Amino acid sequence: MADKSKLGLEFPPYVYEVERGKIAEFAIAISQKESKSQIKQIYADSAAAKAAGYKDVIPSPTFQTCFALWGGEGLMPMIQAININLGRLLHGEEEYEYLAPIYPGDVMTGVTKVVDMYDKEKKGKPGKFMEFTVLETEIKNQRGEVVIRNRTTLVER
Amino acid sequence: MTKALTYESINVGDAMPTFTSDPITRTHIVRYAGASGDFNPLHHDETFAKMFGMPRIISHGMLVMGITGRAITEWIDDKNLRKFGVRFSAMTEPMDLDDPGSKDRATIIVTGTVVEKFEEAGEKRIRCEIQSADATGNVKIMGSFVAAVS
Repeated sequence: MADKSKLGLEFPPYVYEVERGKIAEFAIAISQKESKSQIKQIYADSAAAKAAGYKDVIPSPTFQTCFALWGGEGLMPMIQAININLGRLLHGEEEYEYLAPIYPGDVMTGVTKVVDMYDKEKKGKPGKFMEFTVLETEIKNQRGEVVIRNRTTLVER
Repeated sequence: MTKALTYESINVGDAMPTFTSDPITRTHIVRYAGASGDFNPLHHDETFAKMFGMPRIISHGMLVMGITGRAITEWIDDKNLRKFGVRFSAMTEPMDLDDPGSKDRATIIVTGTVVEKFEEAGEKRIRCEIQSADATGNVKIMGSFVAAVS
């Protein structure tokens, strides 16, 4: 059971340096490909990215999921801190607002807060509840610019 | 190549090009786990999935969102994406390689429709509603995105 006393909890900031290789690796994964040569080249090749009007390679739209998972302590401590049962955890919603570009070498700092916790009765199962935990993260780069605002809803079924 | 999108040429009700993924395999899921850092065993360890009454592992929802993002950025330039949000409505099981009939449940089809044209933050933007369903029609993701269009 998610621990409702965790509402308002702010996790320690994570710091993640954006790596060129990770950008390509992530793009290969979401593109269901095997190698850098098979993906859109703005994710893999600096010259191709520049030709397309970018300063360098850029990450694909959901890449920032890596920041907390690799830059922080990973998923497990967060789940344990809120006291969610891992086997019953479902991802409910995910939302990104893109405010500034991200390039290799940028250093991201993210602060995640628990902004809402609520229950919803399961359809057709009176007295049985799904528990929702809403996290908000503001991600800034090394210049202090907010680059991404992110909202994640976790569900314990 | 589709011709460049312009604010004048695009209309509410227009469809975004339909995108069909490869059938998701356990190998895709493992690759995504490593790339993203999400090592929830529910996504790679069948013995763990079975402890929770599930017949097999399931894909990361974020892999399906990633595939959905790929569908969007095959249509609009990455640099023009302003917002992207989804609600996950069903789990996605990978295909079993020894069961060709399981291919459809693991194939993600992304569709979208322009629902709004507007100006915000000094630029012209469109909002599209999107849906990602498997090839049997089971909806995995409902969501929307906002993109700048010149």
